[in-house]
Amino acid sequence: MRAKFRYFVFYLLFTICCLSFVPLANAHKVNIYAYAEDGLVQSESYFVDGTKCKHSVLEVFDGRDGTKLLEGKTDEEGKFSFKIPKATSLKLVLHASMGHQAEFTLAEDEVRKAMSIKSRKSEVKSQRPNPPLPPFTFASANPPECGKGGRGGITQELRTSNTEIDATIERVLDKKLQPIMRILIKQQESSGKPGFTEIIGGIGYIIGLLGIVAYFKAKRIKTN
Amino acid sequence: MHISEGVLSAPVLVTGALLTLGGTALGLKKMDYEKIPEVAVLSSAFFVASLIRVPIGPSSVHLVLNGLVGVLLGWMAFPSILVALALQALLFQFGGFTSLGVNTFNMAAPAVIAYYLFNFLIRKTNHFISMLAGFGAGLTGVGLGALLVAIALVSTGESFLNVSKILVVAHLPVMVIEGIIISFSVVFLKKVKPEILEEVGKR
Repeated sequence: MRAKFRYFVFYLLFTICCLSFVPLANAHKVNIYAYAEDGLVQSESYFVDGTKCKHSVLEVFDGRDGTKLLEGKTDEEGKFSFKIPKATSLKLVLHASMGHQAEFTLAEDEVRKAMSIKSRKSEVKSQRPNPPLPPFTFASANPPECGKGGRGGITQELRTSNTEIDATIERVLDKKLQPIMRILIKQQESSGKPGFTEIIGGIGYIIGLLGIVAYFKAKRIKTN
Repeated sequence: MHISEGVLSAPVLVTGALLTLGGTALGLKKMDYEKIPEVAVLSSAFFVASLIRVPIGPSSVHLVLNGLVGVLLGWMAFPSILVALALQALLFQFGGFTSLGVNTFNMAAPAVIAYYLFNFLIRKTNHFISMLAGFGAGLTGVGLGALLVAIALVSTGESFLNVSKILVVAHLPVMVIEGIIISFSVVFLKKVKPEILEEVGKR
């Protein structure tokens, strides 16, 4: 009886020892995240513990018919960016080494939006090689100028400035949103990590299974 | 060493599932009443071990502990590891449910081999031989596991030599660490609870 007790205590300790490592614990599940911007698709790949997937092969498929569009390798930072090959939803499949794989699908409207932004921006650039800073303040600060140009001039001015405002807003928003994007990616990274709840839950499942198996075996012993 | 969902082709998945099914059936048949708690505890240990990262070497890998499970459980390593891997797939998204069969076989088959190679040596009275045998069990479990993973991955078109080289090199530190863990575990078990190491089914 005493020996039995000791044996259980030992195993209890063994499990606790294993559990005590858990704070440092990290393991292998790969994640990939991508977003489209300025006609480019930016992707980042990382393992659950935050290590980047360096030099991993990344394939890009047409999300609709599944044809392969291109293939590349991630850099030292686990990043890979490429020009949008086609206005369709894109499926990115990451092949990390040792049988790890993950995929991410970029929605079609996001891809389209990223492409149209690009075309609009280049339009603006071609219209005005060096756009002056906020044209709106310029117009409102010097009302007589507008009078000189007449009505048509004002609307013309407003229209071009509108596209310019759009472009500026896009640019500023991109800049402002980038840290937020990064925070979101970070959060996604950490949410993929197995937490304490999952570990305890898993051990709970195993104990439950032990109970079930023991129950049936005990029945058989009784009937025998 | 969890192979993710969607990496392997159907024939490999089915073969792995069938082999695991056979091993699990055999393991369940051999499992007698007193062994059940042991199987469950080793299952828990295996379940948690994958969270312990070994940051040494070219890429970070985790502990496996299949050598320990094998040396203590023999064929019962199959049900034990199957349960642990199923829960890892469910709760941690390691591996996947379609690749569960292959993954279980890759980890449990080396465990069974380690049992046949080293269990009788561990039961020798000499502690030094037991330690060496435990170390060998750690090496065998992880090393053969890496080789089996490489074989499974060959079907995806990767060249065997390449993959197995990457896998084995990446797991060298794990092999050594597990060897040490297991060699100390078996000596400890021999002192505290020698019956545990008895040949399975001969009690």
